Amino acid sequence: MTRETRVTEIFVEVADSLIDDFDLIDFLQQLSVRCMELIDVAAVGILLADPHDVLQTIAASDEHTRLLELFATQHDQGPCVDCFKTGTARTNIDLTDPRIASRWPQFAPRAAATGFVAANALPLRLRGRVIGVMGLFRTRPDPLSTEDIILAQALADIATIALLQQRTAAHSEIERVQLQHALTSRIVLEQAKGILAERWQVTVDSAFARFRSYARAHHRQLAELAREIAEGTFDTTAIPHPNQPLPPS
Amino acid sequence: MADVLRLLQADRRPLGGQDVPTDVAEALGVDGVAVSLVTEAGLTELLWCSDEVTRRFEDLQLTLGEGPGADAVRTGALVWVPDLARVRHARWPALAMEAPDLEARAVFCFPMGIGAIRVGVLTAIRRTPGPLTPQQADDALILASALTARSLDLNSAEPRLDTPAPDGSPHSLLHAVVHQATGMLSVQLALPLPQALLRLRAHAYSSGRSITDISKDVVDRRLRLDHGNGTPPTVIDKE
Repeated sequence: MTRETRVTEIFVEVADSLIDDFDLIDFLQQLSVRCMELIDVAAVGILLADPHDVLQTIAASDEHTRLLELFATQHDQGPCVDCFKTGTARTNIDLTDPRIASRWPQFAPRAAATGFVAANALPLRLRGRVIGVMGLFRTRPDPLSTEDIILAQALADIATIALLQQRTAAHSEIERVQLQHALTSRIVLEQAKGILAERWQVTVDSAFARFRSYARAHHRQLAELAREIAEGTFDTTAIPHPNQPLPPS
Repeated sequence: MADVLRLLQADRRPLGGQDVPTDVAEALGVDGVAVSLVTEAGLTELLWCSDEVTRRFEDLQLTLGEGPGADAVRTGALVWVPDLARVRHARWPALAMEAPDLEARAVFCFPMGIGAIRVGVLTAIRRTPGPLTPQQADDALILASALTARSLDLNSAEPRLDTPAPDGSPHSLLHAVVHQATGMLSVQLALPLPQALLRLRAHAYSSGRSITDISKDVVDRRLRLDHGNGTPPTVIDKE
């Protein structure tokens, strides 16, 4: 399949998902995965600014805690923060450059440890304001083409649309309130991951994998189901117990 | 708003001194503000209030057991009532009966909490109908988040911050691992989430390590905080 065909397919898929009462976190996660495939990068993360203008991870191409933690270190430094503060795309940043390492002393070594050597950060733009950032990380140093970057920006714009499209109980005219709602949902999801991991005695990552496949199979929104689990109103024995045991400690 | 946040931070009392509510109302550009906290029994309790109109409204909600504040606490979502007189009667039937006699005409309730943890609600009241501006809503969100951090005493749980937190930001909550650990501990210790978070915080505080580090140990199962077997919490060495 040519990339053009794949791009078309993905845009059709996205348009379809946005019409329904869609699951924001699952949508953004899948968008990150699509972006990772299309642009040929190793990881993609979508970060949203909280009310204090601090970037928080809302979704990533890979839900492994290790990657989430790398994104979390970018609250005050790194390519995503630069992009957020300047409102402009920061592309093809060489993370192995010693000048970069000294500029971002906490972020650079962590990125290197994860195997990332190049970064790109694109703004989530909303009427002249930047509400978050899409970060793209590569394990190979060759730069992204202009075409890649235009495509990634289009996907970042879709993420913005999705964020504003979510139907919340609250009032859509206040954009910040919607963004806050999305961030809260993400935290509930992490709390639920912990609850399931301890109940099942598995890692949080495998608890999440099981939780997500259950939610998808039963057409439940991740955030909604996570909230019921966290509030204790959902009987988690309904979810089949994952069979991966904990690695011996 | 920045001034109010500084004021909140400078004041060491649990949620600010007597003048704070009035200053907050002024900074938000509303007629009144109130903060109610969720008690362990799941009820709310008025913590502070800027004026009599707001106090009457809060008391009424508490007496009737219904209203925008209760909804905000129950759902964790903002409740936005720009005109109390135009609310569907069925939404809050008892409150609707009283509404014509109230001086409060517009009410906005911002939930305070962290994920599924409900801490309380920040209520802003106006004597004239009309929505808040986006700027006012932004400010109220920031304030609700700062009050959440303050009421859980979260900022003091980070003895080893690499960088200073922005004004009032619950810095330690940037990490997914803290929320994961809270969930795990709630099962391990058979505690509700708020208490599990407090245990995590207390352990970080007493061990002089950051809540993020402690959380990583909990999530990686190097640390348990339960005392079930009669031994103190143990740290299992890596590998």
